Amino acid sequence: MVQERRILYEHLDVPDINTFDVFRQYDGYTRFEKAIAEYQPDDIAKMVMDSGLKGRGGAGFSTGLKWSFVPKDIKPCYLCCNADESEPGTFSNRYVLEKNPHLLIEGILICCYAMGIETTYIYIRGEFTLGKKMLDAAIKEAYEKGYLGKDIRGTGLNIDIYSHPGAGAYICGEETGLIESLEGKRGQPRNKPPFPAVEGVFGKPTVVQNVETLCNLPFIVGNGVEWYTQMGPTYADTRANPPTPDPNTGTKLYCISGDVNEPGVYELDLGLTCSELIEVAGGLRGEEVKAVIPGGSSAPILTHYELDTRLDFTSLTLAKSMLGSGGIIVMNETRNIVDCLLNIMKFYAHESCGQCTPCRWGTPWVRDIVQRIADGNGRKDTMTRPKFGVAENGRWGDTGETEEIYEDLDLLESVANNIANVDTMTWNTICVFGIAVSWPAVSYMRKFRPEFEATIREGKLVTLPVAEATVPPEENYAYQQRFVPKEFADL
Amino acid sequence: MSDELIQIETPFAFNEENQREFDELIGRYPVKEAAMLPTLHIAQRQAGYISPAVMKYVAEQLEVTVMKVKDVVTFYPMFFEEPVGEYVIRVCHTLPCALRDCKGVLEHLKSKLDMDIASETNLAKGTTADGKFTLMKVECLASCDVAPVIMVNDDLYKNLTPEKVDELLAKLAS
Repeated sequence: MVQERRILYEHLDVPDINTFDVFRQYDGYTRFEKAIAEYQPDDIAKMVMDSGLKGRGGAGFSTGLKWSFVPKDIKPCYLCCNADESEPGTFSNRYVLEKNPHLLIEGILICCYAMGIETTYIYIRGEFTLGKKMLDAAIKEAYEKGYLGKDIRGTGLNIDIYSHPGAGAYICGEETGLIESLEGKRGQPRNKPPFPAVEGVFGKPTVVQNVETLCNLPFIVGNGVEWYTQMGPTYADTRANPPTPDPNTGTKLYCISGDVNEPGVYELDLGLTCSELIEVAGGLRGEEVKAVIPGGSSAPILTHYELDTRLDFTSLTLAKSMLGSGGIIVMNETRNIVDCLLNIMKFYAHESCGQCTPCRWGTPWVRDIVQRIADGNGRKDTMTRPKFGVAENGRWGDTGETEEIYEDLDLLESVANNIANVDTMTWNTICVFGIAVSWPAVSYMRKFRPEFEATIREGKLVTLPVAEATVPPEENYAYQQRFVPKEFADL
Repeated sequence: MSDELIQIETPFAFNEENQREFDELIGRYPVKEAAMLPTLHIAQRQAGYISPAVMKYVAEQLEVTVMKVKDVVTFYPMFFEEPVGEYVIRVCHTLPCALRDCKGVLEHLKSKLDMDIASETNLAKGTTADGKFTLMKVECLASCDVAPVIMVNDDLYKNLTPEKVDELLAKLAS
């Protein structure tokens, strides 16, 4: 069985680790001291680049690369720490904030030193009242001990950290939405470019990083790049010639919830499979896995055929899903996928910020269609039409068979794909919220189509056995790589 | 909204302690407007909800128009524009909690308190007549491992069952 490898969470359960003195006993702030004593800021940035650390907030973008976009000559430059953890199924940052806030502060200090940043805002979710209390106390203590403020440890560094509470809007977890919200406005995302690295909060260059990403920094500096890159798989990125490594290094705080016996946060090397993770989390509660959401509710769903998929950034992209923020939700055979989709679509309809028309009107529309199906009023045509699929000649076309027309399922796919098209990966909205809506909507519907059809036919919620409810991979293009990211084409 | 159109019955001002907190806060940002969310949090803590008087006061403090404050208040679900109960009960009903029967917890709360669920535009509907409780559904509270969860004011209650809800209500009522 796969063993947990606790690095970020190693001392999480030590009593009073939230206080400076106890944190100090466990190497606290020594990594920051090592950074300022032994390395130049550019060395740190290079180490982060070489470590292959990918942003843990959702997009999985290389942290080192993000830092390299920040212009060196424009000051001040800001760091925004994204602690607005609101993706359903994700809860790892909460424990860091509540139990070990000094680790985050140390990570921020290292980032500030590397990038020449003097002001950091930690945008913390409004609902995290305990987390904010603990964090504020830790910040205060760090000021008192001389690790924050003016002329830190006699090095001439000036670094300030402020916590900034949000107020319950999911969209403020998007980096430009977060910046707008931090400026005291509605959290409506901005057009990119300009990217925050060039023009972010208060019009200045801004680095936006997730809590977990920043918490990795002390360990990269303390133990070295070589130690860090040993954890997790590295794939070949064929974009470059000759191919360069595409690292998925380090550990990930996997949050697992739903139908498992021991839900919780498990820190494991990137790249274990879905079924291994379920085993680590005490096994499945129930008889059979029906579906797994691999990266928070925005991620396309995985079926029981795909349980061998490795949970890392590259593998999940290849499986047409994403690791996102690492929130894994497991569903057993008793769950109705239509009902689950309805729940998720209610969430997105509620959380759409209302800025872009396709999303503002599309999300309630999708919700209403799913609601109608779940209520037993799903629309079905009496006519049939030719069925398209893989024809005899092995190419996509008319198969010579006919199929029934489920109007509402066609409509659902059409509306969702007009918010953001999941096949071409293009979205008609400013931010990626659009794709976060249509990804689940379309993938649930394509992969569990028999269950949707049965619900429409019977006029009530029908939960089919797992094997019947799922479309096998060979029969459906939901699984196929219709859009192959260039960098993975020859993988 | 021009200032004359706002009906202000009793003007609002920060008390001494909150004024101190606000003064400290305002120094953190290069522009005053950026202190909007923390300021509104402080104001709501003092006044209970964001009334037009509070909006006007906050607008004056941050040197922005009242409309801008209203703009923000209406966007974020944590700010209330109507009075709420002494205890605001937030029940998470997103997928991980739904898989662990949050519906049962919600129904139990509803029947036990004999009340309806508040909607964002009608908080009074979900507030008891004695002004003790407000019951509302919220999206994910980021505690999916201990689902189902509810938040009562600032405190999180985990792994709820109808029995635990009974205990909690008894504690709150006393």
